[in-house]
Amino acid sequence: MVEARISYPPPLTLWDRINPVRMIGELSETRYWMYLLLIPSALLITAVVIYPTLYGMQMSFREMRLNRPDLGTGWVGLKHYQRMLTDPIFWVSLRNTAVWVTSAIALEFLIGLIAALALNRNLPGSKVLAVLILLPYFLPNVVAGHMWALMLDPRLGVINDLLVKIGWLEGYKAWFADPSTAMAAAIVVEAWHSFPFFTLLILAGLKGIPSDLYKAADIDGAGPFAQLRLITLPMLKTIIAAAVILRVIGLVNSPDLLLILTSGGPGRSTQVLSLYAFQTAYKDFNFGYAGALSVVMFILLMGFAWAYVRLSKVNED
Amino acid sequence: MTTRFDRRSVLKMGGGLLAASALLPARAMAQQTAINYWHTFTSQSEFAGLEDVMKLFAAAHPDIAVTQENIPNPEFMAKITAAVVSGSRPDSTMVSSERVADLVAMGGLTDLTDRIAAWERRGDFDDSRFASITKDGKVYGIPAFTFVDWMYYRKDWFDEAGLAPPTTYAEFRDAAIKLTDPAKGRFGFGMRGGAGGQSYVINIMEGFGAKLIQDDGSISLDRDKAIEAVDWWSGLLIKDGAVPPSAPNDGFRQIMEAFQTGQTAMLWHHTGSFQDNSKLLKAGVEFATAAIPAGPVNRVSRLGYAYNTVTKPETIDASWEWIKFWGEPDAAVAFLEKTGYFPASTVAAQDERISGNPLYKPAADTLGFGIPAPSFAGFAGWSESVVLPAFQRVLIKEATPEQAVDEMIDGLAQAIA
Repeated sequence: MVEARISYPPPLTLWDRINPVRMIGELSETRYWMYLLLIPSALLITAVVIYPTLYGMQMSFREMRLNRPDLGTGWVGLKHYQRMLTDPIFWVSLRNTAVWVTSAIALEFLIGLIAALALNRNLPGSKVLAVLILLPYFLPNVVAGHMWALMLDPRLGVINDLLVKIGWLEGYKAWFADPSTAMAAAIVVEAWHSFPFFTLLILAGLKGIPSDLYKAADIDGAGPFAQLRLITLPMLKTIIAAAVILRVIGLVNSPDLLLILTSGGPGRSTQVLSLYAFQTAYKDFNFGYAGALSVVMFILLMGFAWAYVRLSKVNED
Repeated sequence: MTTRFDRRSVLKMGGGLLAASALLPARAMAQQTAINYWHTFTSQSEFAGLEDVMKLFAAAHPDIAVTQENIPNPEFMAKITAAVVSGSRPDSTMVSSERVADLVAMGGLTDLTDRIAAWERRGDFDDSRFASITKDGKVYGIPAFTFVDWMYYRKDWFDEAGLAPPTTYAEFRDAAIKLTDPAKGRFGFGMRGGAGGQSYVINIMEGFGAKLIQDDGSISLDRDKAIEAVDWWSGLLIKDGAVPPSAPNDGFRQIMEAFQTGQTAMLWHHTGSFQDNSKLLKAGVEFATAAIPAGPVNRVSRLGYAYNTVTKPETIDASWEWIKFWGEPDAAVAFLEKTGYFPASTVAAQDERISGNPLYKPAADTLGFGIPAPSFAGFAGWSESVVLPAFQRVLIKEATPEQAVDEMIDGLAQAIA
């Protein structure tokens, strides 16, 4: 008769019980391991995103004027939000923000799409061209802003010089001093600076579209525009949606380019919400009202992102 | 008797010496206090002037190491506010007059009243130099240099047209119109209607009698006089065409370039741009200097001061040595020679190197009748966020002078509420 032998693991020593390496090893085999891995990033996000956001939100319900300590920092409820309703600068800024973001995104998307389609053809020299096209995006906003301020300068600007020489302008034009051209000129600068973002993402998306689809479309007699409309754009829907949302967030929140080019002027013709919030905080030192403006921007962006995802039906795929 | 060293003894001695040598520089460093200094200098000449002052200071105070940090002027208030609120202040900071009230209100500056009262060079400075840096009887800094407002004009063009430098607003406007010749690409005056243009609007309003701070200390704006002023000032563009059409967006760079490249005949700025203008135009031949013309009611020529202040109390002793060093005549003259900024010290201003130069005479005269800019908590924000856009709206014909002044009065009420 064969005796069955069962081998038991040796009993745990005290050291085994308190050995952290062994404890982590055991934990890694449980479902709690996921939470442990998430702790560092969750802590970081709490410290640098959630806490400042919540702090900014509560600031919007308080009196916070740094240069008026006599007013205290008491709770003022919806005072700042009520002021916003009757503040003409807020409404002008809101309208300008809509124009600024919509026009810039449309232009960036259009140029970015054309550039990506061209680069996707893998013609000779396309790799070098791809690097050149991406160059504007590598420039910081501050550098791009100052560079274009000089190029569009009414006295020394090379753009004016070129336009006069080819006969499009009779004389040098002060683009940023005229309210009818200031916003348009700023949008051109913004589009030049950021269209490579769309190029990059769309190009990545184009590489993932199977060529069989185009071959089949060719056989069916679809021309290039029909292929673009029926294959390329639908296949890029998710990427375009992500790129648009990211750019909208970037444009709504960043006042730096307009700050350099126009400071919101002349008058209020290029005043946008982010610039208004920045000036309210750092020129008027009214952090309460600036906080309220920022909260409104936050809500508008959340609303936009939600509506855009719903309307573009990205999640349905 | 011979002493034998075995290998272990040599190693021990070597280790000991190494440790001792490591301590030496540490002890030397420990004796030197390091402080940083925030400033808003921009031009090459300003940096050259700062460098000279720092060299002189290093020679006089080898125990203090100063590190300068440039903060671009438009970002200065944002950075210093963030530094004060977050507790990461610089040790010492240069602060211009119009920013003092806001910084004192937010608790950003250290009270130096006692130190300044006991300072051996306090007598070199007129009391008026400390007016803008004194709040509620407490003095928060030392004037480093003076921004004396004056006028640069194209002497050759004035001579050619048989014109004398203007002394009143009426003469100024007349000269601006006469010297404007669009065919030659010339305009009579370089108006600053973009960034920084608000101070000119406020000065002109005061020139027409619309003072901001009344004799009883209250803050208000005389509507009728302010409208007259805004109408006159904006009229240089929209009625007379005597300033470049880019005026609504012209800031410091644009007005300087326009003058230096021969596109404008007159430029209002302070003495700090003298050296930069001299590099491109021949001083005394192509351009000369004059005092700012007098308005119909008041003569408004600003004397602004850049103050050096202590922003971090923990290193106050070293910072105090640094900021008071700027009051030494040698430091003040060294800075002037590189930049054109006038010394704030009366003793330094009498130095032969300054009083002997006729081109500096209008600035020396202005020291006699010049006045400081208004200063109250909220002034900087109001002037920049309300006055400038409102005036720009007049320049671009989006608003009338009446509407712009009403906007300014409403904004002022909110700023001081």
